[in-house]
Amino acid sequence: MKSPRDVVIIEGVRTPFAKSGTVLKKVHPADLGKIALKELIAKTNLDVNSIDEVIVGNTGNPVDSVNIARVIALNAGVPQKTSAYTVHRNCASAMESISNGFEKIKSGTMDVVVAGGTENMSQMPTLLPAKIQNIFDKLLVARGPKQALPLLWSLLKADLKQISALLSGNMRDDYFPVISVMQGLTDPFVGINMGQTAEILAKEWGLSRREQDEFALRSHVLASKAAKDGKFKAEMTPIFLAPDYKEVISEDVGPRDNQTIEALTKLKPFFDKQTGTITAGNSCPITDGAAMVLLMSREKAEALGYKPTAKILSYGFAGCDPERMGLGPVYATPVALKRASLTLKEIGLVELNEAFAAQVLACQKAFNSDQFAKEKLGLKEKVGELSIDILNVNGGGIALGHPVGATGTRLVITLMKEMQRRNLQYGLATLCIGGGQGGAMILEREV
Amino acid sequence: MTNPKDSIKIVPQGDVAFVEFDLVGEKVNKLSTPVVLRLEEVLTELKSSAYKAVVLISNKPKIFIAGADIEEIKSMSSREQFEKAVAAGQNIFNKIEDLSIPVIAAVHGACAGGGCEMILACDYRMATDDNVTRIGLPETQLGIIPGFGGCIRMPRVVGLQAGLENILNGKLLPAKKAQKQGLVDRVVHPAILREEALKWARELIAQGGGKRQKKFKPVGLMNKFVESLGKGLAISQAKKATLAKTSGHYPALMKAINVIGKTYKMSNREQALKIERENFCDAAVTEVSKNLIHVFYLTEMVKKQTGVSSGVKGRDVARMGILGAGTMGGGIAYQAADKGIEVRMKDLNSDALGKGLKHASDLWLKLLKRRSLDKYQYKQKMDRVTTSTDFSGFKTLDLVVEAIVEDMAIKQKVIAETAQNCKDNCIIVTNTSSLSVTEMAKGHPRPEFFAGMHFFNPVDKMPLVEVIRGEKSSDETVATVFELSKKMGKMPVVVKDGPGFLVNRLLLPYMAEAAFLLEEGMAIEVVDRAYVKDFGMPMGPFALMDEVGLDVCYKVLKIFKKAFGDRMEISKILDGLEKSGRLGRKNSKGFYLYNSGKRGEVDSSVYEALGLQAPTNPYDTKECVERGVFSMVNECSRALIEDQVVETAAEVDLAMIMGTGFPPFRGGLLRFADSLGSKYIVEQLTKYSETRKAIRLKPAPQILQMAQAQSQFYKN
Repeated sequence: MKSPRDVVIIEGVRTPFAKSGTVLKKVHPADLGKIALKELIAKTNLDVNSIDEVIVGNTGNPVDSVNIARVIALNAGVPQKTSAYTVHRNCASAMESISNGFEKIKSGTMDVVVAGGTENMSQMPTLLPAKIQNIFDKLLVARGPKQALPLLWSLLKADLKQISALLSGNMRDDYFPVISVMQGLTDPFVGINMGQTAEILAKEWGLSRREQDEFALRSHVLASKAAKDGKFKAEMTPIFLAPDYKEVISEDVGPRDNQTIEALTKLKPFFDKQTGTITAGNSCPITDGAAMVLLMSREKAEALGYKPTAKILSYGFAGCDPERMGLGPVYATPVALKRASLTLKEIGLVELNEAFAAQVLACQKAFNSDQFAKEKLGLKEKVGELSIDILNVNGGGIALGHPVGATGTRLVITLMKEMQRRNLQYGLATLCIGGGQGGAMILEREV
Repeated sequence: MTNPKDSIKIVPQGDVAFVEFDLVGEKVNKLSTPVVLRLEEVLTELKSSAYKAVVLISNKPKIFIAGADIEEIKSMSSREQFEKAVAAGQNIFNKIEDLSIPVIAAVHGACAGGGCEMILACDYRMATDDNVTRIGLPETQLGIIPGFGGCIRMPRVVGLQAGLENILNGKLLPAKKAQKQGLVDRVVHPAILREEALKWARELIAQGGGKRQKKFKPVGLMNKFVESLGKGLAISQAKKATLAKTSGHYPALMKAINVIGKTYKMSNREQALKIERENFCDAAVTEVSKNLIHVFYLTEMVKKQTGVSSGVKGRDVARMGILGAGTMGGGIAYQAADKGIEVRMKDLNSDALGKGLKHASDLWLKLLKRRSLDKYQYKQKMDRVTTSTDFSGFKTLDLVVEAIVEDMAIKQKVIAETAQNCKDNCIIVTNTSSLSVTEMAKGHPRPEFFAGMHFFNPVDKMPLVEVIRGEKSSDETVATVFELSKKMGKMPVVVKDGPGFLVNRLLLPYMAEAAFLLEEGMAIEVVDRAYVKDFGMPMGPFALMDEVGLDVCYKVLKIFKKAFGDRMEISKILDGLEKSGRLGRKNSKGFYLYNSGKRGEVDSSVYEALGLQAPTNPYDTKECVERGVFSMVNECSRALIEDQVVETAAEVDLAMIMGTGFPPFRGGLLRFADSLGSKYIVEQLTKYSETRKAIRLKPAPQILQMAQAQSQFYKN
């Protein structure tokens, strides 16, 4: 049933996703966002004056663009009058932005919202250790050489301690610089790394190393095939690298079409060296990229003559144990399903972000568990069976990467495009969120 | 000026007198004779008043004082007239200087020429940090020198070195730069200019209200040297550099250096001003000055024009598409995005697009390096340019410029495709230099939305845009393209469709003539040197052909021959050029040698390659120059009178100066021709045509008629 206040997605555009430290490492996250947004505007021939708001997810929060959404909007030629803000819900920031847009349009507050996310994990800064920063703080207010010289002397001594900490490799040393990307991947409540949360799931749900590696391989195989079939080209805009503009990035740097199970098997567990099964190969890589979607009310879309790709039926966020944050999708999905008055059975396609193979496989099991449903979700019975046949059919985060602040929107774009190709009515995009949450969004294909 | 009394008023603020300039019935404040007379009254009143300080300020939103009234300068011709006017100006500024109370100039907006000379006579100067505030002495650009004491006072305020630069370059400085030089003392936000000026005046009164000693205090080693031992050297260096740059074609510059050299640190003001006055008159009576003022009026003329006579208004172009990311496409993208236009560039592949992006980026990076841009401005500009290999995003464009390969069939096809992918009222223009716009319009389903927009290479440097009106182009289309050209910072001239439009139609015979000179035994460097040094062209015809591309020249010449027949003879050596693989600069092989992109000496092997003997230079340089320049005049008489490619001689002159660098001090091709007279030109053409057996040099019927009627290209 169509209603004028339906929230529809007209189109989505993303940049190539590239493993951090590679081709996109010098492109500022605001530029990644701008490139995606400018192309979205061009692709939809959108009159920029019609945009009511720009909402962008981002977690790294670059110090020179703290409200990065506003920077992106202005750089992309969105008029000054149009408001813009940044949202942060860790791994679901770019789903949060869409849900914000959804609410504003649904309520009738707005008609046209650009939502998306951007992240450049290569550019997350390395910070001075607190001990050294203290000295700097004092230096900044020091008057004359009498005050400054002793401080400079202690700075020199502290620097030597820092070098020694670096040489020892002990990241817990007070003088070891803070590597924000590492810090960000550590839960601030329970103090364990995201990889360690996946280790817990692997052990508790009895997931073998082999299972995980095979799932990782599947991700690469499917993503490489999708790339070869031009599926990603349809959602992507190339990036010309300044200052020579000679090199053009028009493919994801992540999927490997020559990936073998043998190579994956050879990797050492990263987070638990002795009994662990989580490796760099069956985890998603840290990644740089951005994605944007154009949301409208149905009446506005019709007035402007747009043919939407999908309609947003509902979304849901839910909290869970931070140590088992990977199960977030199982918590969030029933919330979204209930709001859409649907069951998992009716969902024809699922994009579930692959933070870790173990985490996806654990979700699959938990979805299918009556016990889990009763104990953890307060439901009478299991959420439902999540068939591998409809799960991440074009690969996922393990191959494509997971630029934290952008993934939510990428899932939605990939999902809605594939729903169109397969003529499926309902689709689910869902992800786990560091800190112990899950996010889910349900789409209906527009015909 | 209808009401002098209301145009300059004294507004008391306690014991500070605000002298407010706001010329009644005028858009700008300027110094004309009635204004100077009124100012004299004001100063007399101040002299006998009880005020303790004076602030000079303007009530116009964007102008302080724009300078002397150029209309008045234009109307004067005799030395006596100039002498009298300049003496009056000098006298009035002396009176400002001689007031016993301190005078503060509070500047917001343009403060040029006489306006700048006025603030130099004040004790203190304050300016706003607004973009509209520009301060300087541009007189030399009009072939005159600062005559109201500017040559004397400027170096005293900013020092010898900066003073020379300010006067010789004639550039207007923003407040911050002026402050750095010491030309202004304080810089404030425009919203508080009045308050701050008043505050300052009160400070001065509180400190005793004395006058200020105007003397440059050198800072830095170089300045200290220049001010003490290096004065003579600085002057002689300036002379040498100016001569080398202008070949003596701009006498005002030498006069200015003379005045500064003679008067710097001279204690007798009257004597110094007398020297300035004499030199001013020397410069003002020259033909060069008249010509430069004429050129100034040509550019003013464009500002007022709309490109059509019907009064139809053009539409604003906020979003532009560019087809083809080559040198022209990239240059157009740069020029448009630089002026705030969103650009969508389309080409066949990302290689080509990347080159276009780099072309634009490099031009901005150069400015960034020179600090005329900051990194934020650079980013804003660069972010305006996006690229695509398909027509995505074209539906929102207001106008599309086609800059692809020069092939009629391909262009027509692409234009049809583009029209299909754009909104119905999107204007499409071609940047063709040689193909018919009317013919090309046949590719467009709605040819009223099609026209030519011919930029010159390099786009960022050449100010001219030929707006080519096809047979079916609508007034709205033409007006839009005209407005867009201005928005892009260019000088548009509307021309009729036809081979070569205007500029190339005149330039081609000129280049063709150079080839004949070479064939007849002239040396390349002798001909080029004659054009540059004697005549004042920015480069000679051979260097120009190298720049344009020898293949392009030859190709266009052949098109012309087909269109114009015998009067468009082509020297047989051009055939040889093509065979020897010389394309000019683009393959670093032409009439000249190229070393990493820079033009070097003449390639001496070119003579042999073309089957020529070593040059014997049988003609004098006068013949070389006259044959080329008169070829242009000859062709122009046909283009203007017979074909009416443009409507007026003024448009021809503007186009030639802005599009080819025709020496501005000659006032333009036709003003130059008029100065010689059509009779003389016809005689010379006839002589050359007969002695050199050249049908092409035979005077055209139109110029023959002019010679008989003793008429001129310029009517009135």
